[in-house]
Amino acid sequence: MTATMQPKSEAAEAPRRGKRTPGAGENTRPRRGPMQFGHWWWALPGIALVFAIHYVATGIGGFFAFTNWTGIGSFKITGWTNFEAIFKDPTKLGALSNTLFLAFGSVLLGNIAGLVIALGLNRVVKTRYILRTLFFMPVVLSPLATAYIWKYIFDFDGPLNAFLTAIGAGDQAKPWLADPQWAIWTVLVVLVWSSTGFAMVIFMAGLAGVPVEVEEAAAIDGANLWQRFRNVTLPAIRPAVAIATTLGIVQGLRVFDPIMALTGGGPAGATETLATLVYKQAFALGNFGGGAALALVLAAIILIFAVLQQRLTRSNPED
Amino acid sequence: MKSERLDMTQHRRYSGLKVGALAVPTVAALILTGCSASTGSSSSSGGSQEFSLSFATSNTIESPFQVLAENYMKSHPNVKITFNPQPNDSYDQTLRTQLQAGNASDVVVTSPGSGTGRSILPLVQAGFLEPLDDAAKQLLPEGSASTFGTDGKVYGQATEITISALVSNETAATAAGGFPADFSSLQQQCKALESSGKSLFALAGSAPPNTGLMAMSLAASRVYAEDPKWNDKRAAKEATFAGSDGWKSALEAVNTLKDAGCFQKGAAGGGFDAITKGLASGTSVSGFIPAPSWKQLQSAAGGSQFAVRPFPAEQGSGNSYVFASANYAFSINAASKNKDAAKAFLDWAAQPEQTKAFAEIDGALPVSGLDKYDFDGGAYKNVGGLMKDGKYGPLPNIQWPNSAVYDALATGVQGIITGQKSPDQVLQAMDAAWDQ
Repeated sequence: MTATMQPKSEAAEAPRRGKRTPGAGENTRPRRGPMQFGHWWWALPGIALVFAIHYVATGIGGFFAFTNWTGIGSFKITGWTNFEAIFKDPTKLGALSNTLFLAFGSVLLGNIAGLVIALGLNRVVKTRYILRTLFFMPVVLSPLATAYIWKYIFDFDGPLNAFLTAIGAGDQAKPWLADPQWAIWTVLVVLVWSSTGFAMVIFMAGLAGVPVEVEEAAAIDGANLWQRFRNVTLPAIRPAVAIATTLGIVQGLRVFDPIMALTGGGPAGATETLATLVYKQAFALGNFGGGAALALVLAAIILIFAVLQQRLTRSNPED
Repeated sequence: MKSERLDMTQHRRYSGLKVGALAVPTVAALILTGCSASTGSSSSSGGSQEFSLSFATSNTIESPFQVLAENYMKSHPNVKITFNPQPNDSYDQTLRTQLQAGNASDVVVTSPGSGTGRSILPLVQAGFLEPLDDAAKQLLPEGSASTFGTDGKVYGQATEITISALVSNETAATAAGGFPADFSSLQQQCKALESSGKSLFALAGSAPPNTGLMAMSLAASRVYAEDPKWNDKRAAKEATFAGSDGWKSALEAVNTLKDAGCFQKGAAGGGFDAITKGLASGTSVSGFIPAPSWKQLQSAAGGSQFAVRPFPAEQGSGNSYVFASANYAFSINAASKNKDAAKAFLDWAAQPEQTKAFAEIDGALPVSGLDKYDFDGGAYKNVGGLMKDGKYGPLPNIQWPNSAVYDALATGVQGIITGQKSPDQVLQAMDAAWDQ
């Protein structure tokens, strides 16, 4: 908070300091100052674009959620029918539970793994810069491309089963992505792999702000490793935890391309999520109205969890 | 004074920035609109000798649509055709989006009926297709007028007759002791092949179109051989999938095939590559793929012979049956500015020598002159008898009301293979999709 207040107070003082300029007292635009470069209307083109692309488009999409539009031709307004169909259909409820499972699973495991790696690579280790780059790599790579590599790894004739056979566990070989029990866990592994690096970077930024002196003081006071982490480090990086988990949940709820590439939602809907279902309904099955309604439900869920998450993890209740 | 001057300069710079802030988006907007305007004018300036053609491609082999169009350009040097190939899996949605936006190609490849995203009837209903003339009417396969248009008008020109049954590696089948003649000997052969590390069928279990095609092939002898008008009864609500013994038997046969070891190992997770690899290498004997694939497989797997076969029916039932229908058609975009050129192309493509040439390029059967077609000796020799006896009908999902029915069948069969779903559940889901 203090950090953000400083420029503001400087800016507020600026006009007073500006008295050295003759005629500045009569200046009807007191906001002119070293910290006040620019005008609000400069943002207009950007605002117009954001408004047109995000809000108008979303609004129109939201309107179609209340219609029976197929994506082409005319349509009728059908009220809440599409939403009733969603909540009556067990396959769509299954997709909802898969969405929540994958989102929370990837956030939980991805953040724990990210935190552990960030703590491990924070200081001491000599090769930490190389390791950081390697751990961050999955975030930079195309999710679609890496998903196809994972698909090959999990293929029945792929390296994972070959490895299992080589170590004498050939009876455990299975089509991982087409196994109703294992498919969703396999997808979760890929999502955790791709989200860990992102969480790690956020946690490392947070850890950089934890003073070594405080940790040393705690150590001198006899606190063990866990106590130091629990009582010193974790409270200090709480804002980082809030950001990493919130972004992770939003990302996890709307994840689409890795699932589409790995399983296409299969086998028989076992890894179907709301995002893949939106695509199938709106584009593959020509039920644009139903797809739009699902998208609206997904948006509402993301909003609710994002707000909830922010409230749960904020460090200061007055924030 | 110095600071005042500084202030003045800054103020002037602000004014400059103001102009810049307004100018950049304005210029950008002008450039963008200019670009789109020029694109628009060039597409319409081609006159009647220029048109564009959209079709779906699913492999690296040159599309027969493109080959045909190139032949047209060779014989008509003043005509220029712009090709817009689209990947098969996104073709339907691209076509619909472009038609809705008004920028689709002049000639588009469609499918009869209303069972897929590229199907003619919903596109006609939305006003996107142009009615065609007598040349197209003459190519209509018997009894399929209702799937090519409404009110006596025809909106699609059939390109070829595609058989949907089995494509088999005859070399591998001979090595395995010959292709089974009926359903029970098929199960025996499945077990024998499984013990030698091979399989009778290669299945793309994770690719729903393939599981759906398998289920329909199983339903050929069990449903449509006995009652070719079953779809009409379903449409009139005189029958349901869940209440049909034939459909139930067809989906139970999926379990029978699975238990007999008819599919390759890991079939539930297999993609289309499993079929091409399996059939080309001979580790699998046959696959549920559209008949024209025999030609591509034969050229890919030098040394092996490929042929088209019906799925073996129950012994003594006499219910052997295949699906043979015009699954693809040329249609003209109603918003096209080059309709004359497009129609001239369609008239040319409707000539008997062109339909014959097209079928040969693709490895399919010609849409005209099928009664005089010589089945003996070619890849279609095993289905020639059925075709001559009239034991064939259109691919069922052409007549289904929406693509959700086929999706329910295809993903449902995937669920039967993995043990997630029972045949009854799948059939109920198909009924629900039909009635939605």
